[in-house]
Amino acid sequence: MSVKSIPLDGHEFIIKRRHALTSGTIKAMLSGPDRFAESEINEVNFRDIPSHVLSKVRMYFTYEVHYTNSSMKIPGFPTAPEIVGGWLMAANFLDCYTR
Amino acid sequence: MEAGEEPLLLAELKPGRPHQFDWKSSCETWSVAFSPDGSWFAWSQGHCIVKLIPWPLEEQFIPKGFEAKSRSSKNDTKGRGSPKEKTLDCGQIVWGLAFSPWPSPPSRKLWARHHPQVPDISCLILATGLNDGQIKIWEVQTGLLLLNLSGHQDVVRDLSFTPSGSLILVSASRDKTLRIWDLNKHGKQIQVLSGHLQWVYCCSISPDCSMLCSAAGEKSVFLWSMRSYTLIRKLEGHQSSVVSCDFSPDSALLVTASYDTNVIMWDPYTGERLRFLHHTQLDPPMDDSDVHISSLRSVCFSPEGLYLATVADDRLLRIWALELKTPIAFAPMTNGLCCTFFPHGGVIATGTRDGHVQFWTAPRVLSSLKHLCRKALRSFLTTYQVLALPIPKKMKEFLTYRTF
Repeated sequence: MSVKSIPLDGHEFIIKRRHALTSGTIKAMLSGPDRFAESEINEVNFRDIPSHVLSKVRMYFTYEVHYTNSSMKIPGFPTAPEIVGGWLMAANFLDCYTR
Repeated sequence: MEAGEEPLLLAELKPGRPHQFDWKSSCETWSVAFSPDGSWFAWSQGHCIVKLIPWPLEEQFIPKGFEAKSRSSKNDTKGRGSPKEKTLDCGQIVWGLAFSPWPSPPSRKLWARHHPQVPDISCLILATGLNDGQIKIWEVQTGLLLLNLSGHQDVVRDLSFTPSGSLILVSASRDKTLRIWDLNKHGKQIQVLSGHLQWVYCCSISPDCSMLCSAAGEKSVFLWSMRSYTLIRKLEGHQSSVVSCDFSPDSALLVTASYDTNVIMWDPYTGERLRFLHHTQLDPPMDDSDVHISSLRSVCFSPEGLYLATVADDRLLRIWALELKTPIAFAPMTNGLCCTFFPHGGVIATGTRDGHVQFWTAPRVLSSLKHLCRKALRSFLTTYQVLALPIPKKMKEFLTYRTF
């Protein structure tokens, strides 16, 4: 199952549903009463978030799911100071808390 | 990390019997340190000896059942000049230890060209703070003494190098001063910082190299500028001698530990006290004695900036999560004096009064994306710069560690 994320500049991303559910916001969006019940791909629009930021968020989802509930040593997640402000906004909106 | 994940003892190292019994030498491990790249561990094992041990540890030290890291690469490098442990005889009691990267001298580059199969060993130096005020600087790979710095009149209790590798060393002494040494100029003493009224117990340079923290017996914590070497502010709040201090990896937080059983978390930019971490005994005493037995000895931040480890006189190593008011885990540890995290996480090293060091499992941390962003931003933004940003109030509170 996949979630299609459509950011500000229209560059679409497909994210595994399991990964996208890391975000409390997306989880709420996808489980509300008006969700797309039958389709394989669910679409979520992120009008305020540019694609380069969303791409990094998707990488974080993968990282988070991969290392949670595993006993592997957790490597650092690479960050770039210049654009980290955008990620913070996105992370705040997407409510990306870990357990 | 799941609550209740107690630190497990991975290994314990004990000093061998000293070859020459000297009843005047103390046997305490006052300091332990990892090199910034995680390749070496330094252990002042008492009796004037410092042991330099390559990290990860040889398999013989790791009890069965624990995964020995890099097992195959250890076999590959055996017999090919893999680094071996070094013993530094400092001639007097060793109190402070600090590592720094060290630029390769021309001779080393020549050696490396003739031994291309050996992986490039980073060059490191270790500074040792001694009983009579001297500081000895050693080259780690060879164990050779490089420099002798004189100036302090009493025990050099703590040392801190600039994390940037600019080879500026700060020393803290019982002579109530801190001194700044420039190792680019053969260890020239470039400044004396006066102001403390009693023994200076510890010093720490912030990871962004802008601030120096020092703490002393008169209960005060001083913050100095590393640019002008002048006093920025005094932090008041402890009720007894302050013996340990550490900055968070993004320089946004400072923690100090005192004999008054508290660790205080400060915003170093504003001087505000953000948290008191009170160390209470698990089993309260039957009478009024032992009031101070939860005196703190050491506090340190974890590498991703979300946990603290503390060592106290009530025989416990405690792990704290920053946002909570009580510890999340305990481990029994007698006569603990110092602690430090392995720079890449996963291990905590502690040293004791009888010269032993222990290695414990540290919490396994998966930072939230929000925290990763906060850490990246705070590595170059001061509290005031954050407060000036056009962002919602809740986000400012998060970024300035008022909320978690």
